[in-house]
Parts: sequence; C-alpha cells; structure tokens
Amino acid sequence: MERLERRMGLLAALPIGLLLMVSFIMPMVVIAGFAIMPQKVFELAHMPDFSSFAVIWEQGYYKSLLRSLGLAFLTTAILFVVCWPLAYGMAKVFGRFTLVITVLVVLLLFVSENIRLFGWNLTLMKGGLIEGHLRAWTGLSFETPLYTWPAIVFGMCYVYFPFMLFPLAQGIALVPDDARLAAMDMGAGPWRILFEIEMPLAAPGIVVGCLLTFVLSAGAVAEAKLLGGRSVVVLTDDVESAFTYAQNWPLGSALSLMLIVIVALIALVPISRIDLDAIMGRRK
Amino acid sequence: MITRRQFSLGAAGLAGLSALALPGRSLAARNDQLNILCWEGYNSDDVLNPFRERHSGATVRAESGTSDPEMINRLRAGGLGQWDLINVNQAWARGVMFKEQLIKPLNKERFLPYFEKMSPEFANPPYAMAFSPDGTDLMGMPQRYGAFNFVVNTDKISLDMAEDQGWNLFLDEGLKGRYGVLTYDNWNVMHLCMTAGFDPFQPVSEENVGKYTEVAKQIMGNARLMTDDLVAMNTALINGEVDCYFTGGVFSCSGARYDGMTNIRGITPRSGPVDGKGGIVWVEITSAVNNPDPSSLAEDFLEYVQEPEIAKLVASGGGTLNPITQMGNPEVMALFDEDQLDAMQVDTLAEELARCIEFEEVPSYDQLLAIYVEARRG
Repeated sequence: MERLERRMGLLAALPIGLLLMVSFIMPMVVIAGFAIMPQKVFELAHMPDFSSFAVIWEQGYYKSLLRSLGLAFLTTAILFVVCWPLAYGMAKVFGRFTLVITVLVVLLLFVSENIRLFGWNLTLMKGGLIEGHLRAWTGLSFETPLYTWPAIVFGMCYVYFPFMLFPLAQGIALVPDDARLAAMDMGAGPWRILFEIEMPLAAPGIVVGCLLTFVLSAGAVAEAKLLGGRSVVVLTDDVESAFTYAQNWPLGSALSLMLIVIVALIALVPISRIDLDAIMGRRK
Repeated sequence: MITRRQFSLGAAGLAGLSALALPGRSLAARNDQLNILCWEGYNSDDVLNPFRERHSGATVRAESGTSDPEMINRLRAGGLGQWDLINVNQAWARGVMFKEQLIKPLNKERFLPYFEKMSPEFANPPYAMAFSPDGTDLMGMPQRYGAFNFVVNTDKISLDMAEDQGWNLFLDEGLKGRYGVLTYDNWNVMHLCMTAGFDPFQPVSEENVGKYTEVAKQIMGNARLMTDDLVAMNTALINGEVDCYFTGGVFSCSGARYDGMTNIRGITPRSGPVDGKGGIVWVEITSAVNNPDPSSLAEDFLEYVQEPEIAKLVASGGGTLNPITQMGNPEVMALFDEDQLDAMQVDTLAEELARCIEFEEVPSYDQLLAIYVEARRG
C-alpha cells in the first residue's frame, strides 16, 4: 500500500517536475550550447569551436567578472555587519515591534527596483534633495558621491537588504537562549558568545542570507548603471551588450555561462554544509 | 439518462477535441491580430486606440524595444511567427533585416503615393534607404527621424562654440570629467570614428584603428558618467553634473526641451571628416515582418499612421518629440504648436540635416565595437 502511494506521489509530481525541467534546465542547455558555437551565429547547428572563451580572455572580459564578484563580496560583507544587530533585535528583543519592521522592509519590495534606485539618484545628485537643500540653506556644497564604485555598493546594499535581514533573523531565532545564558554563567564574554555560540548556531541563516545576497549582487546591473554611471562595467553589462549591440549570442552565452558556473561553485560549498531543514524548522 | 460519469467523459472528450482544433482556429484568426514591435511612441494608446476602434474585432498589441538589435533578436529567437510589423532605424532595416529576410517588401502601388507628401528630403526621389539595396523593393515606410550627434547645455557651452568645435570639443582636456556618454554602443562607435576623423561607413585602415583606439580611451576615460538611460543623462545635464553628453540629439533631449529646458540642445557639427560633414541622421523604417502567417492588418496600420492626426501623435508619443517625414504636408505641420516645434529644433532642422550623413552599416563594426567595449571597461 505504501509503495503504491509512493508511486502515485511520483506520478502526481511528474507534470510539475517536467515543467520545472523545461523551464529551468532547457534555457541553461541552450546557453551552454551557444557558448561553444563560432562567433556571431544564431543557430546551434554549427561545429563548436569554443572561440568565445578565447575572446573573453583576449579582450579582458575577466576584468568585469572580477569586478562583479568583488562588488558582490563587499556588498555581502557590509550587509552581514549591518543586518546582524537588527536581525538579532527582531529575533530576540523587539517582540511585537518585529512585525512593524518586517512590514516596513517588505513594503520596499513593492516598489520597482529601478524606481527606488532612480529615487536615490535624484536624492544624491548635484542639486538633488541633499546637496540642493544644503546649498540653498547654507551656501555650502559638496561633490556628489554618484558615479563611483562606492555608490554602486551602496545601491546594492540598499536593494538586497531584505535578502540578508530575514534569513539572518530566522537563523538567530534558532539559537536557544539557554545556550547563551549557560555560556555567560561559565564566564564567556560577549564577543566569545557571538563567535562561539551564536554565529555557529545561526549558521544556516547566515549561509542562506549571504548566498542570496551574493548571488543577486553578482548578477546585478541596475545599480551600476543608475548610481555608478558605469564607472565600473560589471559582467552583466557586458552580457547585455554582447547579446544586443554586438549581435554575438555565443559571446553573450559564454559570459553568462562563466558567471553561472563560478557563482554556482562558490554557492555549492556552503550549501553542502548546512541543514536547510533546520532553518525551515523541520529538523527530524 | 446520462450518468455523471458519462457526462464527465463527454466533457473531457469535447475539451480534448477543442484543444486539437485550436491551431487551425488561430491560423484563421491571424487577420484579427496585429502585433507590432517598435520604438516607444507607436505603442501609446493615443496611437493605437483609434485603430482598435476601426477594427473592433481585432487584437492590436504593440511592444517597445530598448534598442534596434534587441528588437531584431526577438525576431531571430523564434518571433517571426509572432510579430507583424517592426520599426527600427534605416541601417538595421536594410543592412540586417532585409538581407536576412526577416522583413518582406511592401506593396509599392499602395505606399509609393505617400512619399509625394513627405518632406523634400524624403519625397524627391522617394527616400532611397526605404528601398532594398538594388532599389527595386520597398522595405518599409520612413516616419520619425532626427540628427543624432551630441547634446550640450547652452548655458555652459554656447551653441556657436559647440557647432564650431564639433567632435573636437570632447578631446579638449578642459572638458575632462564634465561630460557624459549616452551608451548607445553602436552610435558611440560611429561617433568615435567621426571624432577620430574618419568615415565610419567605410572599411577602416590600420592607421585609423590606432587613432580610434586612442580617441576611445580618452573619451571613455574622461567621462563623468556613462548611462544608456536618457532621462538619467538629461537630469545630470540639467542639474549641472555634466555640461554636455557624447551621443545624443533631438530624440534624447526633446523631452527636456518641451518641459521648458530649452538651454538643452542637440548639436550637429558644422564640419566633419565625411565630405565636410560630421553629423549622422537616423530614420526609422517600419516594415512588415516576414511572418509565415501574415496579418492583413499590418499594411492597414502602416497606411493608418500616414494620416495627419495619427502621424502627429507618433511624432509626440513616448516622452520624446521627433520630426516626421509627413511634415512636408502643411496639414500635418499645422497640427503642432510652437513649443512642440521648438522642442524638435525645427528652426534648424533642414540646416542640420544638410550637415549629416545617413546611418548605414558599419563595415568594421565588430573590430571597432571590441575596442570600444575594452575602452569603456577601462
């Protein structure tokens, strides 16, 4: 009877399983196929020559990749430091006020990313909300921070803030208060409790938050365009140019594939070490 | 008596049969559909709704693209059977789409008479770039156009100085960190060629590749900001972040001009390296997609946008204002108010066009684009 139920379950899962295969795996297969095609072809019916990878090396596209990864690392690190105290408060201290914070942060997500970033553009620009008012009221002025790489990191921190905050809060909620109290009773200081009790026990939340932020930041493009004024050309920008203005689908595919593989490799290591069931509260 | 089980089986059977019949029905229904892929303007409800009213049973849909090649990609990626009309600039229409049979010729008898009422530059003889390279087939209908070179804030750089200096303006070290680059890559490539002093539409020599590389590095390296968002660029220009921007024209600055910022102006250099000309003009061509199952509404729509009221809506749709070929018809000109004409820089339109060459295929595009992309990356 149990075997029959299991078989029925598999059968019932088949349609959605096929749909997921087609919608997730097939585009990847097409991208991988185009990535090995000769330059500037628009069909897969050609002899593979892997020339796009030579172009990536010769024309210095790896620089964009390194910049994308560097910005993503920096964003993740900053967000971790910024979000930890707030997440801690949400999980352990604020009580009902946590709901207010959650609603406020979620509300941000209801507005399109581009509109929010353009709002920052208007706020930070010369003659914008901050510099304009300061100049009008005091006569003082300052060089705007726009069109620089710190502006891009600021934009990414702002946009991906919720993706770090909520998993961290979930992770911190997993830390039993008794463990912390016991450590305190045994004479551990606050830093020791943080590094040896809280962070290891909240690791699933930390890993999920860092991964989400890192993967999204590595693929981000709007921040570099709207706040960074392309002072840093990120890899996703190069992918877009290759597919459109260069009309070079194989090069665009090879660049995409390179980003996907590297980010997947970086993500796989921590994912293999955490128990996702634990953070979902389904530990058996 | 029918049992519930029999009824369910019957209903399921009918549903299955109707699903099988769908492809046939949809083929027959193509004349009740029109799908347009276009630059913004043609997709506004102001333009589409009167056409929808005239064809009340039809589904008329228009979608705007973000660049010519992005729209062409959609046709290549299996969109031939989906789209009926496509609207791109002349070089892409003739150089890419017609060559690759992504578009098909229009009915000359039906459309040639419309050229007679166009502005003189397009009427006599009928605009050559709307025809196939051998001149026999009519590839599409020209409508919006404009000079596209660079834009200045005339409060910071005088119109006279900008026109006189032309592209050399951007090589002046004094302008370092005070200009932007509107990153429409293919236009940037052509403008860099002009700045380096050679014709982008001729094969490039080794010597000119060297000059181009130097110019590309300098212009990209000294720019204050680069963006492909014209609103962000105009905002930076208005707020004094930059004094001018490389690559731009009436298309990119007319929205700001219409809002009262008439100190923002598209510039066409007085001189340049191509027979004394230094400007480039774009002309949008709207063509029938080579759809294996075509909709008869495609040519009807092309005829519809030639009507004076609709042509005027196309000129002023989508947040930008652009001159249209139909302005040769006094009836069309009378529909625009003074502010709209001023936003389109109609006062200097003929003069600027005379200083421009046509936007064509760039023979050394791949090589020049690679140098440009590398220079932009820094």
